Amino acid sequence: MSVVPASVKPKPAVAALDVPRGRSRWWDREAPLAYLFMVPGALLLILFMAYPFGLGIYLSLTDKMVGFADFDFIGLENYQYLLRDRVFHQTVVNTFVYGFVTVPFKLVLGLGLALVLNQRFRLSSAIRAGLLLPWIVPTAISSLAWLMLFDPVLSPISWVLREWGLITQNVNFLGDRVNAMASLCLANVWRGIPFFAISILAGLQAVPQELHEAAALDGASSWQRFRSVTLPTIRTIVVIATLFSIIWTFADFQLIYVLTKGGPANGTHVFGTYAYQTMGYSALGQAASVALSMFPFLAIFAALLLRQLRSED
Amino acid sequence: MTDPRVTRLLDEATKLRLSRRSILRRGTALGLSAAAVSPILAATGKAAPARAPFSIRQERSLNILQATYFVPEGQEAFTRLATDWGGQNNVSVTTDYVAWPDLQPRIAAAVEGGAGADVIEMWDTWPYLYQENMVPVQELAETVGERYGGYYEWVPLTAAVDGQWYSVPHGSSSVAYAYRISLLEEAGLADPKNNFPKTYEELFAVGKTLKEMGKPLGQALGQSLGDPPAFAYAYMWSYGAMEREEDGTTIAFNKPEFVEGMNTFIQAWGDAYDETGLSWDDGANNRAFLSDQISATINGSSIYLAAQGAAEGASTLDYEVQVDPADIWHAAYPAGPAGQFCQLGSRSHAAMSYSANQEAAVEFLDHFYQEDVFIPWLEAQKGYLIPMAPGYAENEMYTGDPTLAPYPAVSSYARNKGYAGPADQKAAEASARYIVVNAFAQAVQNGDAQAAIEQAASQLERVYGG
Amino acid sequence: MVGENTLSNRMLKLWVPLALYAAFLLFPFAWMLIVSLKPDELLLDTRLNPFAIVNPTLANYRRLIFESPFPRWILNTLVVTLGATVISLACSILIGYALGRFRFRGGNTIGVLIFLLYLVPPTLLFIPLSQIVSNFGLYNQYAALILTYPTFLIPFASWLLMGYFRTISRELEDAALVDGATRIQAMWRVVLPLALPGVLSAAIFCFTLGWNEFLYALVFMGSGEMKTVPVGVVSDFIRADVHFWGLLMAAGIAGSVPVAIAYAFLVDNYVSGLTAGATKG
Repeated sequence: MSVVPASVKPKPAVAALDVPRGRSRWWDREAPLAYLFMVPGALLLILFMAYPFGLGIYLSLTDKMVGFADFDFIGLENYQYLLRDRVFHQTVVNTFVYGFVTVPFKLVLGLGLALVLNQRFRLSSAIRAGLLLPWIVPTAISSLAWLMLFDPVLSPISWVLREWGLITQNVNFLGDRVNAMASLCLANVWRGIPFFAISILAGLQAVPQELHEAAALDGASSWQRFRSVTLPTIRTIVVIATLFSIIWTFADFQLIYVLTKGGPANGTHVFGTYAYQTMGYSALGQAASVALSMFPFLAIFAALLLRQLRSED
Repeated sequence: MTDPRVTRLLDEATKLRLSRRSILRRGTALGLSAAAVSPILAATGKAAPARAPFSIRQERSLNILQATYFVPEGQEAFTRLATDWGGQNNVSVTTDYVAWPDLQPRIAAAVEGGAGADVIEMWDTWPYLYQENMVPVQELAETVGERYGGYYEWVPLTAAVDGQWYSVPHGSSSVAYAYRISLLEEAGLADPKNNFPKTYEELFAVGKTLKEMGKPLGQALGQSLGDPPAFAYAYMWSYGAMEREEDGTTIAFNKPEFVEGMNTFIQAWGDAYDETGLSWDDGANNRAFLSDQISATINGSSIYLAAQGAAEGASTLDYEVQVDPADIWHAAYPAGPAGQFCQLGSRSHAAMSYSANQEAAVEFLDHFYQEDVFIPWLEAQKGYLIPMAPGYAENEMYTGDPTLAPYPAVSSYARNKGYAGPADQKAAEASARYIVVNAFAQAVQNGDAQAAIEQAASQLERVYGG
Repeated sequence: MVGENTLSNRMLKLWVPLALYAAFLLFPFAWMLIVSLKPDELLLDTRLNPFAIVNPTLANYRRLIFESPFPRWILNTLVVTLGATVISLACSILIGYALGRFRFRGGNTIGVLIFLLYLVPPTLLFIPLSQIVSNFGLYNQYAALILTYPTFLIPFASWLLMGYFRTISRELEDAALVDGATRIQAMWRVVLPLALPGVLSAAIFCFTLGWNEFLYALVFMGSGEMKTVPVGVVSDFIRADVHFWGLLMAAGIAGSVPVAIAYAFLVDNYVSGLTAGATKG
């Protein structure tokens, strides 16, 4: 581990890099073994992903319609169409709002939950599993629960607020662009917190306790200990979890599909729902171009976050 | 198939795995009529051209995919009749039901993958989308139409592809205004059963009083494929606009009379409607109606039937329902300056051309549309599907409950999506993009009718134009 | 725990935040429970307190378990998800280990490639994938999902595991190598046990992602008895514009509580087992 302050550095361990590396048995050398380890996963991915992936990119350059055998290569026309498509512009904006609002919340709240759950307490296993439920309930069904919670008439949230005298009319959760986006973000954060919490909780198990104790004895505050001992250990995990959360959020489909289908008046379309809507009239080439338009954005985030990971090595 | 040109084309089509378009092109080049080419198209089902679909098999099987029925008894009836037929004809039959919006991804994967259900229920505009993957059933569809006294006009316009049948229609669920008799009476309407407003202006006027009473009109304007377009298309037509002219490419949406109508609607939205309707999907107005929040809404008969069910359930609970089914009545759409309209499209059944069981599929369809099978199946659905032809329109299931009479009556003033063009792929695109619906949603959100209509018109232009 | 373990400190650091989290995370779930215990007629009645369960009934659960194919859907989902999880985890442990702990040429490139594969969303992929599924003759068989789910599980799990493997200090492994262990032994006996929390959490995520998957399950396997829980529930308990809320929510609960209980054991194992174990290391 790299970024531990000098005062709490453990006694130097075995000089790590002097281990003999040039052993003769090939399976003890890193590179051949590494390639060997890749084989099963790679086979599966190549068999099932390489073709669809390549085809997906190719289709985005064609006017392919579902169910029609003939189609033409049209170059970047689909993408040019999107550049002039107001709904698509709105989709891009919506996706960024959706992603940038929810991911930080999920990260911070998930990290907080992980730290809370990492303590010893009674009934801890039941409580830990219970708090995982938002992630376990099939989204197809939990989205329907949110549909009820956001219902203009039946919403129990509105009922409570009315009982408390905070509002006189039911909240219009999904019928207004801003409210609808906020409601979707709320449901998305709800669903996403456990993922961060559990992945970080698992990472916390590798935090060396003796460092923590040594730092505490040195009079480090809990915030200092968190920054200098805990955070370096879980940083990789946090970065990776954030990365995947961004991807999932950008490509989110089911929650929005159930709650608004991108409405009202396209106010909540994201890439996933817009691409799916395009499939509704069979325009596969166009749908592919919508879906793949995410690619550069996600690639940029990925590059930024991956650089974070590298700098650690 | 005695014509040597036909034999030759069939041979070529099979060997070269010609696409549909190529076969048609080749057929024209050989001087063949469309009728002569159609059996070749049938025999060379595109997605699985190498297979010989009509070869003899010992074990025949048939998988049928439909939308989940609203009336569960209808679904049971269908499963039974299909398996019975299978038993008699030595075909092992399986039936599947999925929520109707989920049919499309199933079909898309099936036609692209070349594997899936053998018979699939199609909704309007889909025959245009999947025509290359459906077995032509011209003769069967025509026979069925004649059997029941000739299809109503809206049926071939929404289930056939430019007059060619690739699927056999079976009617549609339909829409009308469901309303509360007592509330409309309270709002000053005498004899609401026979006196529902005949024009939108009248409706909005009553709606204003109703909203003052705390029971506004309800209308879904969210992005949902059922109730929102059921209102939006009808209102557009009633105020003199259409998606396009008959030529198929000229947009006829931005009409001054429609702008005026939209302004009227914007006013009414605030005065007479429940404004959360912007978020409503197909189910939300059912909930609002059944929980006594709104006085009237456009819907299928599901509200009424659910109220009946709730009243039955309530009787076992020592509990009184909020909305008594006896207080619910239905009425036809109001009219606008340009007339009375509603949007309607027929559902149909297609035998899929990738299937190795096309023969069995067509045989089954032939059997299914026989009077002693088809009519009892409709009856099991209690008239939920309105008739596609006059031959059985007088059946007890449509006339028995006067409350439901407006549902089959929509036939007489229905238009298809994409009017005045056909319900084709472009119409499917405009509908899937919610262009017409969102014109209304935009207008009531921003209060600017002209801008909302112009924006929608330019979107329509991109869809239909050139 | 380090620091003063006073009651107020404990309240501040544990119980108050825990209560807040529980309120937020469990509220929708509690709502599902309430709905599932009510007759649907009462649900739409605005005269009633929506949280009060008048006339509580288990009818929804009875119908779900005895009068619908729900148990079969559970079985299907279990088979598919377990199969996909085992395959994905096995592949991902190897890849994650290689990427996280070996230095070899092209390692980063391969890592990025695997990651890129993940960026194409299923809403697009299901069409070309359907061709592969039917070419292999897998349509409507368990294998269709067992083999396609890993396409989105492996990239994710490999990366996550790579992250976990990197948190294990390299010295331990090297010490084992000095002691004469082979690399595979070092991995199996030293690193993997230490990374167990990570492996278990990756397993949990794979299982859950598979358990929740909708689109592939709908198009590759949704026929006849072969539906998974999400597909079956949406197909059978929503009829046109009428939702059977009680049944839907009951299915949500019955389809997730057993999984949560299973997770309770897994999470408990790694949290308690390894806080003890880590101090030894």
